[in-house]
Amino acid sequence: MPRNHTRGARWILSAPLLVFVAVAVIYPIVYGVRTALQNRTLLDPDASWAGAANFLTTVKDSGFWHAVWFTILFTAIVTCVELVLGFCLALLVDKYFPGKKPLLSALILPIMIAPALMGVMFRLLLNENIGAVPALLHDAGIHITLFSNGAVVPLLIVLDIVQWTPFTFLLFYAGLQALPRDTYEAAAVDGAGFARTVRSVVLPMMAPVVFITGFLRAIDAFRTFDVIYVLTGGGPGDQTTTMSIYIYKLFATGNFGTASAAAVLAALIVLPLVPVVTRRAVGGTTAEAAR
Amino acid sequence: MGGTSRLVRAVSAVVLAAALGALAACGSSGSGSQGSGTGTVKMVLWPGPEGDAMAKVVSAYNAGQGKTDKIHIDMTLLSRSDTFSKEATLMATKSSEFDVYFTASYLVAQHAPYLQPLQGLDASRYFPSAVQSLQVEGKQYALPLDISNNFLYYRTDLINKLRTDPTWQASYARISQQLVGQSLTPKDPADWTWNDFIATAAFFTKKENPQSPTTYGTALQAKNLLFNTMIWDDVLWSFGGGWLDSSGKPALDSTAAHQAMQVYNTIYTKALTSPDSSQAEFPETQAAMTSGNAAMAIQWSAGYADLNNPTKSPTTAGKVGVAPVPGDKHQTHVHALAVAINNYGKNRSAAQKWISYLETPQAMTLYAKSGGIPAQPGVLSSLTSVNPVYTFIARDLSADGFSEPALPKTYDIYSALAQDLSGAWVGQQSIDAALKKADSDLGTLAAQKSGNK
Repeated sequence: MPRNHTRGARWILSAPLLVFVAVAVIYPIVYGVRTALQNRTLLDPDASWAGAANFLTTVKDSGFWHAVWFTILFTAIVTCVELVLGFCLALLVDKYFPGKKPLLSALILPIMIAPALMGVMFRLLLNENIGAVPALLHDAGIHITLFSNGAVVPLLIVLDIVQWTPFTFLLFYAGLQALPRDTYEAAAVDGAGFARTVRSVVLPMMAPVVFITGFLRAIDAFRTFDVIYVLTGGGPGDQTTTMSIYIYKLFATGNFGTASAAAVLAALIVLPLVPVVTRRAVGGTTAEAAR
Repeated sequence: MGGTSRLVRAVSAVVLAAALGALAACGSSGSGSQGSGTGTVKMVLWPGPEGDAMAKVVSAYNAGQGKTDKIHIDMTLLSRSDTFSKEATLMATKSSEFDVYFTASYLVAQHAPYLQPLQGLDASRYFPSAVQSLQVEGKQYALPLDISNNFLYYRTDLINKLRTDPTWQASYARISQQLVGQSLTPKDPADWTWNDFIATAAFFTKKENPQSPTTYGTALQAKNLLFNTMIWDDVLWSFGGGWLDSSGKPALDSTAAHQAMQVYNTIYTKALTSPDSSQAEFPETQAAMTSGNAAMAIQWSAGYADLNNPTKSPTTAGKVGVAPVPGDKHQTHVHALAVAINNYGKNRSAAQKWISYLETPQAMTLYAKSGGIPAQPGVLSSLTSVNPVYTFIARDLSADGFSEPALPKTYDIYSALAQDLSGAWVGQQSIDAALKKADSDLGTLAAQKSGNK
C-alpha cells in the first residue's frame, strides 16, 4: 500500500511536467514528422501520404547542402571566436576595479536586444547612404561598402560576434566568480604567473562551463535566422542562406511537407551532439558534486 | 488504496482531457454557417502605408456606416514581412480567427482554396488588370485594395541640365561610347531605352565622370527578394520576354532574358550603383535618392510621396521626375494588394457587407487621401492634387502594365527567381547558369496545379 501510494503520488506530481512535455515537445515533434511524410501545401487543404518523397526532394536540392555547409561554417567560426573573446573579457573583468558595474551593464547590453530588432538597427546603422557607421568610416578616410559581395559574409560574422560575445562573457564571468579564490593564491605561492594560472588552474576548473557555453552558442548559431534574414534575405543568390532561412522560405511559400522534412533533417544533424554534451555536462556536475 | 487509485485515475483523466483539449486547440475549426450578418468582423492587414490608410477607413466605417450595418471592424496589423507567413499558418489549419484575409495578385491562386468567392463586384470601377489578377479559374476571390507598379524616378534638375548643357552633353557622348558602344545624345526620360538608362547612370557616377554631382547614377534593387524579381521582370518584358512562351513552356533561357540579365549585370559590375545594392530593396533605394547619392532609380509607385516631401527628402522634393520604366517597349509590373473573405470565417455574411463598402468610391477616396493607392482609376484621377503620382498611375497603367501569369505557384516562382538570379545580377554567378537554373525551377513550379476547387 505504501508502494502504491508512492507510485500514485509520482504520477500526480509528475502530471504537470508530463502535460508540458506532451503538448510542447512530443506533439510538435510527432506533428512535424507526420507533416514531413505528407504532401502538404497551401494549394491543397487536404494532405496526402508522401512517404520519403519530401526527404528525397530536400537531399537532392543543392541549395539544402549549401545551406548546411554555410551554417556549419558560420557556426564554427562565430562559436570559436565568441568563446575566446568572451573568456578573455571575463578574465579582464574578473577582478574589482572602479567603474566595473557600469562596464558590466554596457557589455551585456547587446544580448538584451531582440535579434530581429538588432537586424533592423544594423540595416540602418550600416546603410551606405544614411548609416552612422559608413559616415564615420568615410570621415576617417575609409571607403568601404559593408554589404558588397566580398564583405557581406565577414560582416554577418562580425555582427553575430558583436551581439553574442556578451552572452559567452556573462557565463564565463559567472563561472570565474564561483571559482574558489584560494586556488589562485595557492598558484601564486607556487610561483605561477597569470598565463600559467589560467592554463593550469582556471581552464581545467572552467571546462564544464566552457563546454556548456560552447554548446549553447553552437546550437543558437546553428539556428541563426533573424539578423541574416533582415539584412540579406539569404543572398545574393544563396550565399548567406542558413538552414533556418532555407526552411523558412519553404514554409513561407506554403510547402509545409518539404519544410518539415528539411527541419527534421536539420534536427538529425545536431542530434548526435546532444547526448555527448549532456554526458559531459551531467558528468562534470556530478564530479563537481562528488568533490 | 482504493481511494488512491480513484484519485490517480481521476487526475489521469483530467490530465488526458487537458492534453487532448490542448491538442485539439492546435487543430482546425470548421467553416460553419455564414454568420448573422452583424457583429464584429476581424480583418488582418499589414502595417505601412496600406495599413495606415485602412485604419482611417475602418475608423470612419465604425463611426458611420458600420453603426447602420451593426458591424464593427476589428483590424489587426501583423508584421509587414511575416503577414503572409502567419496567414499561411492560419489557412493551413483552416482557422476561423479572422473573417477577412489580406492577399495579393501573386498569392491569390495559392490562397484560393481558403477563400470564399466574392459576389457582385463592380469591375468597371477598377483597372482591368487589377481585377483580373485576383481571379482564379474565372472566379473573383479578392477585392483590389491597393495597386503597385514601377516608375523611373529621376532628378529633374540633373537631367534637365544634361539635356541643355553642351559641356555635359559632350561628356555624355564620350561616356556612352565607352559604356554601350554608341555616342548618344541625352533624351527625354520618357523615351529612354536601356542603353540611354545605362549611359545616363554612367554619366552620373563619379567613377566614370568625376564631375558628376552624385556618387552613383542609379540604385539597383538586387537583394534576393521576390519583390525585386518583379522589378527585373520589367526589364525582361521590355525586351519582349516573359516567364512562359505561347505554349506555356518556361522561357527564361531566352535571348530576352539574357539581355535583361545583362542590363542588371552591367549596372552592378560597372559600379553605376553602389556595391551595397546586392542587398538593396525599397528602403535602400529611397535612401540612395533622398541622400542625393543617386540620380535616378526604378522604384515602386509608393516611393514617390516621400521623395517629393520637403520634410522627409529636402534634397529631392520638387525635383522628382516620373517616367515609364525604360525599354524599347515600356513595361511595368502591376500587382494588387487585396482583401478576401476567409472561407472558414465565422462571420462571412458581415464580411461580405464590409467588402462591399470597401468597393465604394467614398471608401476608396478616404483610403487614397490617407496615403493608399486604390486600384480605381476614377478615384485616382480625381485626387491628383493629393499625390501627383496618381496622374501617372492613371495614365500609364493601362498602356504599360502587365501581370505575370496567375499560376498556383506564382509566389513561389517569384521567390525562386530571386534566389536563382540575384547572384548573377551582381556578378557572383554566370548569367547562363543562373538562367538555366531559373528556367528549370520555373518549369517545375509552373507545372504544379492546385489540389482544390
